[in-house]
Amino acid sequence: MPTPSQKPTAAPATKIDIHSIHSFLIHPGKGAENPHEINGAAVPKSGKLFEMLRPVFDEAEEDCAHKIAFNSQNGQQKNDCRDALITYIKNCDLNHGRDIAKRLQAVTTHRSGLGLLFLMTGDKNGETKIVVSRFPADSGILAEEKGKGLSVEFLERIFMKSAKTYKAALYSGTSFTKDFWRGQAADKQINSAESVIADYWIREFLVSDFLTPGEAGTRRFAIAVRETMNRCAEPSVKQDIVAMQNFVAKMPSQVVSAKGLLDQFHVPEETQTQIKDHFPKAKSFEETFTFVPGEFAKLVNMRTIELDNGALLTAPTDRFDRVFTREPVGGAGNVFRFSTQGSVVDQRFRKVKP
Amino acid sequence: MTTLEEKFALRRERVLVPLAERIETHLKSVFSGFPRIDRISARAKCVGRFIGKAAKQEGGIPKYADPLNQIQDQVGARIVTFYASDVETVRMEIEKYFKYIESKKIVPESESEFGYEGRHFILFVPEDLIDDKLEREESVEFFELQIKTLFQHAWSEAEHDLGYKPSGELTSDQKRRLAFTAAQAWGADQIFDELHRQISGTVVIPGTSPN
Repeated sequence: MPTPSQKPTAAPATKIDIHSIHSFLIHPGKGAENPHEINGAAVPKSGKLFEMLRPVFDEAEEDCAHKIAFNSQNGQQKNDCRDALITYIKNCDLNHGRDIAKRLQAVTTHRSGLGLLFLMTGDKNGETKIVVSRFPADSGILAEEKGKGLSVEFLERIFMKSAKTYKAALYSGTSFTKDFWRGQAADKQINSAESVIADYWIREFLVSDFLTPGEAGTRRFAIAVRETMNRCAEPSVKQDIVAMQNFVAKMPSQVVSAKGLLDQFHVPEETQTQIKDHFPKAKSFEETFTFVPGEFAKLVNMRTIELDNGALLTAPTDRFDRVFTREPVGGAGNVFRFSTQGSVVDQRFRKVKP
Repeated sequence: MTTLEEKFALRRERVLVPLAERIETHLKSVFSGFPRIDRISARAKCVGRFIGKAAKQEGGIPKYADPLNQIQDQVGARIVTFYASDVETVRMEIEKYFKYIESKKIVPESESEFGYEGRHFILFVPEDLIDDKLEREESVEFFELQIKTLFQHAWSEAEHDLGYKPSGELTSDQKRRLAFTAAQAWGADQIFDELHRQISGTVVIPGTSPN
């Protein structure tokens, strides 16, 4: 197989055909002194298994929603998992595939259980693509009609593309220097509260993390929320944001997307659209990152209410409703008396808004 | 057939110059209000320097077989801080907001040498700064970020200017003089950092009480 860096510039993304598939049975082996021997096989490029796997390869761009990137090791441009994948791509044989399988076995716990690893590669017009996927083992019942009778049998090692535990990773590119650092991953368990489950595929096996670091993702979200609050004229949108902010401020660090976070707090569609409009790119609205509470608080730390009589009430966002007491005045429903008490520590002039 | 120089010049104009502007704006936004930062800048590598780097040899063979993909500082950014301890603070901030494939502190090879110093990163270009209209092959994945003190920056700029003159290699005496200025810059950084930490109260001076 030619080296991608020596190939001509790749054509625009086209459908890439599968070049080879290898499969390995992965027993749990994390911390094991004598890990189970890894058996593997080449999968023929025809037949029912191939037809079942083809969509996994072809649709990986859509299935693998998390944008990830390999971590640097000790500050160097080196990552053992990336190196193993590149070596496998260059050779495409069972021996080099087994090196990747060994890496997966070394991080697989009994809780993750038995799995079937598939390595699928393809190349077209100078672009190389690899999809790494893990199908978890499950049990089931095989029912077979025999004439007028029925035979039922319990099966133990059934490997399914389970919606909950199926995992995959996709890398593609034309240069082993420039490309194959960022990729995409499918991992429904990445936002699990249990770090063992959450860390298994992306952090431990792929030695990767999200492409957008937690602080950067949180910052982008917080700025969009703040800009929506400051620029939107709709009182209902502002009210939604205040309500949402109260929940978000108490939220622990967790893996989310902006959309997922807003859905979690039932923020109405209209408000979500306004917030999405303040993202640098619409597609970033659904990008996964690790929410960092302190970063969010830092960027929306002061809340101001402006009244029609010229008053500006400002206080730290998280304490605003405790600093100012609000009571309705009259029956109109939109007039309030705000009260607060404290010692005067400073006074300031401010330039009027242009 | 398009030459490497023509290919890079085209990429520079179409991709790198606008990308450098976006990177500079983004860095300035992330570090807005951050203390003791003298300047933040980003630039696209000029054509001459790219071609010079692409032609480098190692052991008699070209160092870069595929320069357009292998040279990672086609966009270079720089953050210049006041004091040496600020370089470390900025490094920690960078690691929070950017994903990197390389982070190294560059110091002279032995304790008795003085020369170039600084913190270098190879960072992923953040997704939000990538021009989605471009094909992946047209753009770059990474950019270089250097974090230096004012003295490190001043020394490396002058050294680069003097050291790369077409008149040829510097004499032994000229090299010693450059090393001397590097030692002075290093000493100035040490003293300024010490004074800064004493005055800001992060280091207690014997016989005084902290603020």
